[in-house]
Amino acid sequence: MTLGLRDIRACFEGAIPSAIATVAADGTPNVAYLSQVHYVDEAHVALTFQFFNSTRRNILENPRAVVQVVDPVSAAHYRLQMEYLRTETEGPLFEKMKAKLAGIASHTGMSKVFRLRGSDVYRVLDVFSVGGACAAPAPPRQQLLPGLRACLAGLVGCPDLGRLFDLTLLGLQRHCEIAHAMLLMHDCERDCLYTVASHGYAASGIGSEIRMGEGIIGVAARERTPIRIGYAAQEYLYSRAMRERFQHSRDGAALETEIPFPGLRDSGSQLAVPLVHVDRLRGVLFVESPQEMRFTYEDEDALMVLAAQLTLTMELLSQGADQSEDARRVAPVAPRLQGRPLTLKHFAVDHSVFIDNDYLIKGVAGAILRKLVRDYLDNGRSEFTNRELRLDPELGLPDFSENLEARLILLQRRLAERCHSLGLEKTGRGRFRLRVERPLRLEDVPRR
Amino acid sequence: MSEAPLHLDRLQRGFVTGSVAINVASRGAQGVPSIARAYGCRVSADGAEVALYLPLAFSGNVVADVRGGAPVAAVFTRPATHETLQLKGRRAELGAAGVAERKRMRAYARRFREELAAFGLDERFLSGIVAPVELEAVVLCFTPVAAFNQTPGPEAGTPLRAKG
Repeated sequence: MTLGLRDIRACFEGAIPSAIATVAADGTPNVAYLSQVHYVDEAHVALTFQFFNSTRRNILENPRAVVQVVDPVSAAHYRLQMEYLRTETEGPLFEKMKAKLAGIASHTGMSKVFRLRGSDVYRVLDVFSVGGACAAPAPPRQQLLPGLRACLAGLVGCPDLGRLFDLTLLGLQRHCEIAHAMLLMHDCERDCLYTVASHGYAASGIGSEIRMGEGIIGVAARERTPIRIGYAAQEYLYSRAMRERFQHSRDGAALETEIPFPGLRDSGSQLAVPLVHVDRLRGVLFVESPQEMRFTYEDEDALMVLAAQLTLTMELLSQGADQSEDARRVAPVAPRLQGRPLTLKHFAVDHSVFIDNDYLIKGVAGAILRKLVRDYLDNGRSEFTNRELRLDPELGLPDFSENLEARLILLQRRLAERCHSLGLEKTGRGRFRLRVERPLRLEDVPRR
Repeated sequence: MSEAPLHLDRLQRGFVTGSVAINVASRGAQGVPSIARAYGCRVSADGAEVALYLPLAFSGNVVADVRGGAPVAAVFTRPATHETLQLKGRRAELGAAGVAERKRMRAYARRFREELAAFGLDERFLSGIVAPVELEAVVLCFTPVAAFNQTPGPEAGTPLRAKG
C-alpha cells in the first residue's frame, strides 16, 4: 500500500512528539525532537523554526531530512523522507503554525521559550510505514460526512439571513456534536468583526467585536485561512481583561467594548474558519470546546465545506434583500400608545444609543435605529425597506448589501435582548417594521 | 568532533537508562539521514560505552548505514520533564541481542509504559508503543565523543563537557 500524507494526518496533531534526523556538511548526523509537524498538502509539510540549532544549520547545508511521526491512537510509526525547500516568515501558513505553537507552548508550560521565527517548508519524497505494518487508521470519532450533509440540508430553503445564521449553529450542535459556536461578520469600513449569532454560551455576546488579527478569530480573518488549535493558548483567548486593555489603547473608542465576548472561559480547543466569497472576507465561523485536541483535520475540512455553502447562501439571500416595494405607500399610521415613555439617547460622536440610560449599541446599527425612531416620531412611519436605508446619505452605508442585512439582524437581536417594548420585525424580503409598544422620546446629543 | 571518549557521569548514565524516549540516527553515503527508535539503553560502568536495542524490522536504514561505517547520533528525552540529551559517536558496532538484552528491553518497556501512562494515554497506544520489544533485535554499541543538552529553550544545543 502506498501511503499518502493524508492517510497519516492524525500523526500531525501534535499529541506525540516527532523526531527529525539531519546531516551536517561534514557528514555528522543530528537527531532532535520536534514540537510540530504541520500538514501543508499531499506533498508538503512544514516544521517550526524557533532557534538557530543544529537541525537548522544542517538543512541549510544539506536539505535532506527524515522525520519519524507516531499515530496518537495506534502508536504506529511512520517515516517521512523529505527535502527542505524554503522558510516562510509571514502569511497564512506562518500564522497557523504560530497559533498552534502558542497552544503547545502554553500547554507544556513553555510560553516564554517558544517563539516562531519561521515555517520551514519541506517537500515529502516518500512516506514509509515503520516495520512494514499497515495498521488500519483509527476510526473517526464520529461520522463527520453524514453530519455535514445533515447540516447542509438544514440550510436549504432558508428564508432570511437571521434564520440562516441560527440554523447553521443549531445544525453544528445537532449533527456534528459541536456545542459552542458563533458567527461573526466583517465590518469592512472599520475592518473588525462583530458577533451576529452564537450558540451554547451563557450570554449571547451579540454585538461584541473582535479586531482583525486579535486571537484566532482575528488571525483567521486577516489571513483568510482556517486556524485550529488543540491546546487553547492564553495569548489567543478572549477575555474581558484583554478588551479592557484595548479601551485604553489608541483605537479603543472605535471598538465595541461594552458587550462582553461570549467565548468559553476554559476553552480547550478552538477552530476559526473564514467566510470568503470571491476574495472578499464576509466573516468567520468559530467553534470551540472545553476538551483539548477536540478538533481534527477532518473537522477543519468539514467546517470549510460548511463555510463555503454558508457564504454562498448568504450571497444569494443578500442579492434579493434590496428588491422590495416602497414601504412609504403602504405604511399604516402609528397608533397612539399609553405608558411611560422610553427615552432613546443617541450620541452623534459614535452613534451609540442608550435606552433609559442602558447601553444598547453603537456604530452603524446605532445610526440606523436613530433614523428609524426619528422617522417614526416625525412622520408616524413604522414600515421600512432595506433599500431606503441604503440610499440614505445620512447613514452612508457601504455598497455590500449583506452588511446592511447583518447590521439589521444585530440590531434586532440586541433589542430583543435589552428592550421588550421596541423591536424590529421582518415583514417580507427587504422590508421590516419598527414595533413600538410604548411612547418614545429621542434625545440627540450632537458631536462636540 | 573529537575522537576522545566522553565518559558519561552518574547522572547522565541514570538519565539515558531511565524512562526516556530514545531515537538514533545515522546517514547513508549520499548524506541521506536515517532514523529509528531504540527500546532501552545500557552504559558501561566507566560511562564510555553506550548500547542501544533496536528491533530489526523497525530499524530501517540505520542498521545498514551503521554497517557501512557511518557515524551515529542518539537522542534521549524524558516525556515528563522534556529534559533531553543527545550523544554522538564516530562509528558504531552491531551485535545480536540475546536473552539478557531481551530482558532489559522488556524492563525498559515496563518503565517507559508507566511513564507514559501518567499522561492519560490510552491502553491501545501504550501497548502499541512498546510492542516492538518482542521482535528480533540488534544491539548498537558506540563510544560517545560529544554530548549536547537539548532540553527545549535557549540553552538547547550547548555541548556538555567530557568528564575525562
